[in-house]
Amino acid sequence: MLDSFIFVVMPYAALALMIFVTPYRYFSNRLTWTAYSTQFLERDKLFWGSVPWHFGILLVLLGHFAGVVCPHGMARLLANQQMLVLLESIGLAAGLLALLGSVMLLLRRINDGTLKRVTFCSDWVLLYLLIMQAATGIYIATFMRWGSVWYLHTAVPYFYSLLSFKPELGYVADFPLIFKLHSAGAFLILALLPFTKLVHLLFWPLAFLRDPPILYRWRSQRGNSRDF
Amino acid sequence: MNVRAQLVMVFNLDKCIGCHACSISCKNIWTDRKGAEYMWWNNVETKPGVGYPKNWENQDRFKGGWRRDDGKLKLRALGKGPTLLNMFFQPNMPKLDDYYEPFDFDYSNLYKAPPGSDQPVAEAISQISGKRMEEIKNGPNWDDDLSGSQIYAVQDVNLEDSTLVADYGRMFMQYLPRICNHCLNPACVASCPSRAIYKRGEDGVVLVDQEVCKGWRFCTSACPYKKVYFNWQSGKAEKCIFCFPRTESGQCNACAHSCVGRIRHVGVLLYDADRVEAALLKEDDQLVAAHRDVILDPHDPQVREAARKNGVSDQWLEAADKSPVYALVKEFAVALPLHPEFRTMPMAYYIPSLSPVISSGGDLHTLADHGTFPLLETMRAPISFLASLLSGGNQEIIAEVLRKQIALRLFKRAENLGQSIESSILKNAGLDEAGANKLYRLFTIAPYRERFIVPTQQREVQNPEERKGSSGFGILKKTRRAK
Repeated sequence: MLDSFIFVVMPYAALALMIFVTPYRYFSNRLTWTAYSTQFLERDKLFWGSVPWHFGILLVLLGHFAGVVCPHGMARLLANQQMLVLLESIGLAAGLLALLGSVMLLLRRINDGTLKRVTFCSDWVLLYLLIMQAATGIYIATFMRWGSVWYLHTAVPYFYSLLSFKPELGYVADFPLIFKLHSAGAFLILALLPFTKLVHLLFWPLAFLRDPPILYRWRSQRGNSRDF
Repeated sequence: MNVRAQLVMVFNLDKCIGCHACSISCKNIWTDRKGAEYMWWNNVETKPGVGYPKNWENQDRFKGGWRRDDGKLKLRALGKGPTLLNMFFQPNMPKLDDYYEPFDFDYSNLYKAPPGSDQPVAEAISQISGKRMEEIKNGPNWDDDLSGSQIYAVQDVNLEDSTLVADYGRMFMQYLPRICNHCLNPACVASCPSRAIYKRGEDGVVLVDQEVCKGWRFCTSACPYKKVYFNWQSGKAEKCIFCFPRTESGQCNACAHSCVGRIRHVGVLLYDADRVEAALLKEDDQLVAAHRDVILDPHDPQVREAARKNGVSDQWLEAADKSPVYALVKEFAVALPLHPEFRTMPMAYYIPSLSPVISSGGDLHTLADHGTFPLLETMRAPISFLASLLSGGNQEIIAEVLRKQIALRLFKRAENLGQSIESSILKNAGLDEAGANKLYRLFTIAPYRERFIVPTQQREVQNPEERKGSSGFGILKKTRRAK
């Protein structure tokens, strides 16, 4: 029952919310499409929170995605024992960075008075959720060794079964509770994404890398302007 | 030749009395909102002083603007790669304390306070935390009129000799009103990873698209004038919009309109967009000349033809023709860009101040020898100071401008008194009688329609079939999360 909820209901609910709510928010009110930076009000602690958090979590996410996008390549790569140890160490280190960063971010919100006015319920929910996610991830990496390998033969085929709309719980049903918590947390974060400031991670500055430095908008030229 | 039009403001610093009427009218119209309390899109600083935000001119600290690197212009702070690496924390962004913590006063305490032995006071309340503030430590014009000069004015980066601040016999003071310069090579635009900041093609106004802005704050750091602000409530960047809703309908900006000293002029400049980059690669002291070179003569038929080809309308060409800004910046060359060495090619120009004219009591007799005005060499404000502020360190340019102003005053004074002066005085300063009279009119009695020649945007001729019904009044969206 719990398994069906976590591994069938939650992923599809999260996916549905992502697909339908995100564009709705994008087209209905983009004025809220920002990460709501608070660096302006408090910067010293933010540095020790935001930087480790973001770089840590980016590396960890990259590892998770690599397994899904290219399972065979990863399997071949990880067949080399030294590579396996190296990648697992990097992953664990990145996870620890993310955990330390997110705890720092939480302590910062708790202790800094000037941030009270810009801290909303969603900020607390996200912070606790992300800390829990990082902590369970580190627990799994530490006490359920070689996750990068077994991930390829359990979670990855499960993801593919999800994508083909024939979810097979057999791949993941026998894992201990901590793994299920980690999965549930991931789906919950995805489900909350379109409702919170997490939407900021859907925008990547790619045009910026290509464009000439100075951007013009001409009202008089067709296709080159929005109505403003 | 790639001719474009730009709306430009000129400030006559000689006439600024530092009344802050401009700041107040701007504040009341644009930034009297939550999250924007600390923003002054228009502010007036006392020079020498540290300004607002504190020490904004110090690019060793804030790393704003552009630098030359191997014959190319590069942002002083972060290129594209480093921008991606600094996405999560802005290393060079000023913090709230560099501006000031905005405050209001608890006036209700004045009549609600219980009876007591002390007079009740209106205590300061922070507009950010909502809490009582023990002490107000900073403000948008904290060092106004040289207050605390030993702490603030001595830090002015333009001051060659900061001991001058302590010497009342040599001390001087001027005001510097500042808005966004709507630069031709804006560092804020180039630094924006969201591509939310853009320069409007038609009038050159630099705007932040609030829907596209993701609040990454690179613009706030990259602008060397610190004229892009971060709204702590909405999480997005905001800046001076050159009052475009007013200028589009032919009115001048609110700051210029409310100016008590009538120091501001607004008009159209035509410039060659293809020559901007090359001009900015010149040496610091060549930059003013390079600026002037980029600005085109609106009377030149070739320029007009090229402008028409680029879609500049006849109405805009006519405005460029009569532009008071063209007269001051190029024709008479008395208005200078603020810190051209930041290499953004700012489009707000300043006429350096001539005052204070009497350097000290005992000098009065010497002054009388040459007609009540001091010699250039005995001016109280050091030329090196003005040069650091307005000409990239080129003192000769400042001297030229001041010489013109002195000659103009001598000429008009003589005329008023029915005396004759040597014609060489005007000629040596690079003026003739007709020019002097035109400049005199612009400086003094020019009415609203001569100081401000702002053509309308003429939306009615721009794809009317697409435009009809597409804009107007509608339901305002919420700009922030509700608490």
